[in-house]
Amino acid sequence: MDTNTTSNEYVRGTLKTIVLNLLAEQKRMYGYEITQEVKERTGGAIALTFGALYPVLHKLEQDGFLVTESVEVDGRLRKYYSLTTPGSEAARTKTDDLERFVDAIRLLLAPKSLATE
Amino acid sequence: MKRLQNNKIELLSNYLKKNGLNPELFPEILDHLACEAEERLWDGDSFEQAFSNIVETADPETLHILSVEHNHLLAMEKTLNDIVFEGRNKSYGAYQLRKGYNSTMQRSVLLGVTFFLLIMLLPNLYARLVPDPEKNDIGFEVKLTPVDIKMESTPPPPVPVEKPKAEPQPSTRKFTSYDVLPDNMVELEATPPTVEDFQNSLPGHETVEGNSDLMDIVPPAAEAPAGKGKAVEAESPKEETFMVVEQAPAYIGGNAAMAEFLRKNLKYPEQASRANIQGRVFISFIVGSDGRIEDVKTLKGIGFGCDEEAERVIKLMPKWKAGRQSGTPVRVRFNLPVVFQME
Repeated sequence: MDTNTTSNEYVRGTLKTIVLNLLAEQKRMYGYEITQEVKERTGGAIALTFGALYPVLHKLEQDGFLVTESVEVDGRLRKYYSLTTPGSEAARTKTDDLERFVDAIRLLLAPKSLATE
Repeated sequence: MKRLQNNKIELLSNYLKKNGLNPELFPEILDHLACEAEERLWDGDSFEQAFSNIVETADPETLHILSVEHNHLLAMEKTLNDIVFEGRNKSYGAYQLRKGYNSTMQRSVLLGVTFFLLIMLLPNLYARLVPDPEKNDIGFEVKLTPVDIKMESTPPPPVPVEKPKAEPQPSTRKFTSYDVLPDNMVELEATPPTVEDFQNSLPGHETVEGNSDLMDIVPPAAEAPAGKGKAVEAESPKEETFMVVEQAPAYIGGNAAMAEFLRKNLKYPEQASRANIQGRVFISFIVGSDGRIEDVKTLKGIGFGCDEEAERVIKLMPKWKAGRQSGTPVRVRFNLPVVFQME
């Protein structure tokens, strides 16, 4: 549980990028699918709670990065999200930003390893 | 993949509703939780287990935060009007008015300016569209004919004038005055008329044998001796009553004689003396051209028999000396105050 909360702390900042990035790959996803995808890929290291995910999705939708379409599946309305043109552009820049940030963090956390490289 | 039965989904939706989830989020979250439940069922859990698990992750607090965050997100999009009218009757009309205010304002300003410019430019446009009338354009011609206006006048009826007969002319004898001249310049002429000559004639410029033995010098016109009642002109009526004349009528013998006459004849009326009345009675009368007293009346009396007494005495008066205008006697109205005074 403890590890989970700490991971959540970092996830909060990068969630937007994660979602955009995933959608850039998958074209069309719904909320639960995203959480599952993240969980599978990270082997459960990062678990997106729906409490965190949905506000981000809505925010992105409002910003015009995502469009939604509701499809009825199994008698339930399922909301699919997909990227718009500015959305895919934002996905690219944000992914780049994050990568640079991660590199920088890496430099900060393991300067010695960098020196050995 | 195991499917959730409808009643299970109902259970979930009831749970969400109970926690006051925003209706806009509701279908999405329901789907999410249902998927999660299905996943757990797939893993071999019982529904009860799965449900309690879900409730654990989607605890009321999380759901509440989700709703609040969603509201915040929407609020960013909201305008002031949306905030003011939140939870109020938006269909009442005020909301629509407020919402449309900007566009209405824009439209009205645009319309107003356009209309104003149109009005302002109308004279200009009109002048452009309608060409100025040329000088040769003449609508119609009017011929003026001079009209002679003659005064309508009827000549006055000619006064029948009888040619006066040969004026009676006195016989005259030439009588020239003489200038004093030196002897050599004196023309010898007829001798001046003698006194005898003038016995039967008058001095004149020429010696004319008269046809009358008249010896008076009379103005030739007007009431000539021979012109009997021959009115040459339309004469004014004879009996004109004057108020003021050149020569006022007078009591023969003067005012003193008149006072004497009045004193002698006036008797103080008994009524008046009894009532102790005194004063003046103004009597108006006409002195005829022959001097007779006519038309006696009281102008302003004092009553008690005095007026009648005064009138009586005036009527008693002898003939007056008639008033004269241009030398001819005329009728004159005369006012006389008669004084009644107790002794």
